[in-house]
Amino acid sequence: MMHCTMDDLLALRAREASAWARSHAEGCAACQAELDALYQRIAQLKALPARRPARDRWPVVRDAVLVDRRRRRSRWGAWSMAAAATVAGLLVFRPFGTGQANAADLASIKQESATLEQQLRAVDPDARVMSGRTAALAAALEDRIAVIDGELARVGSPDAARRADELVKLWQQRVDLMQELVGVHVTRASYVGL
Amino acid sequence: MTISLAVPDILVARAKSGDLEALEALYRAFETPVYHLALRILRSPEDAEDVLQETFLEVVRSIKQYRGEGHLWGWIRQIASSKALMRIRRNQVRATEELHEEAAAGPGGGGSAIPARVDLERAFERLSETSRAVVWLHDVEGYTHEEIAEQMGKTVSFSKSQLARAHARLRGMLDEGAGP
Repeated sequence: MMHCTMDDLLALRAREASAWARSHAEGCAACQAELDALYQRIAQLKALPARRPARDRWPVVRDAVLVDRRRRRSRWGAWSMAAAATVAGLLVFRPFGTGQANAADLASIKQESATLEQQLRAVDPDARVMSGRTAALAAALEDRIAVIDGELARVGSPDAARRADELVKLWQQRVDLMQELVGVHVTRASYVGL
Repeated sequence: MTISLAVPDILVARAKSGDLEALEALYRAFETPVYHLALRILRSPEDAEDVLQETFLEVVRSIKQYRGEGHLWGWIRQIASSKALMRIRRNQVRATEELHEEAAAGPGGGGSAIPARVDLERAFERLSETSRAVVWLHDVEGYTHEEIAEQMGKTVSFSKSQLARAHARLRGMLDEGAGP
């Protein structure tokens, strides 16, 4: 007498068995026993005790996250410095016709922005932990600063005709945002303790 | 294995924003199920720990892409099983697993003969890595043959035949172990 194969039994469990396998299994005690044993094996596999890792791998994962953030931060910093350099070059080659006052304001604000960049680096944001809300706030501020840096970089393009007072305004916005960003990192984050 | 795998939405949102505390909380919540899955498939604790680490490196890199469709465990499990299967492929380059399986299961094979009474856990460990992966993913984790075939880069019939073959071997080993 032909019995169900393992393929047939698995198909029966999956309710995909052939008509022959279904009718045979119904009347065959041996195949019913095999099917029961299959169900039991699977139930026992599901009930195997959970094992826990011997070593904690979180520190490795966390360090990789921090290294990645530091790398992205330094890329972002280099990009914003390049934008500032572009504007500085422009000031040399395209002096503003509105007088010395704007140039002096611009130089002063740029200096302030550079000082804030230094402060931010000294704070070492990557070595700090922050809540989700704070991280989101810092990311939003960085995004807004990046938008302003993009605007400043575009000043160098031939079709851009920014007036000096607009430039001062942009740099002032940048400084305001940088102050907020430094404030977020100083007051709302705490050291990881590495 | 019964572990609560539910995590609050707020925790996921914090993890997506890069909050390290939230990411660690996710790691702690899913560390055991990921390790358990990897260990059952790969058998080696070192390999399973490596898969755990690789899985969470991927989780922290990609959590922003998790759209909240389906259970978070389903998303993490997909990454973990993919990492475990990749490791199987790497291991297969180093050794011919069929040879390993036959040697382990054969009579007196290399000093690792099946004990007189073998339980299911030990019998399962004696299956090949591929067979263990198919059985675990299908029977325990509930993957379909189509999903397993896609993850393994094989056909559906390969997955089905591996499952049938693995169960036939398990049955044989258990019968042998239960004999007089």
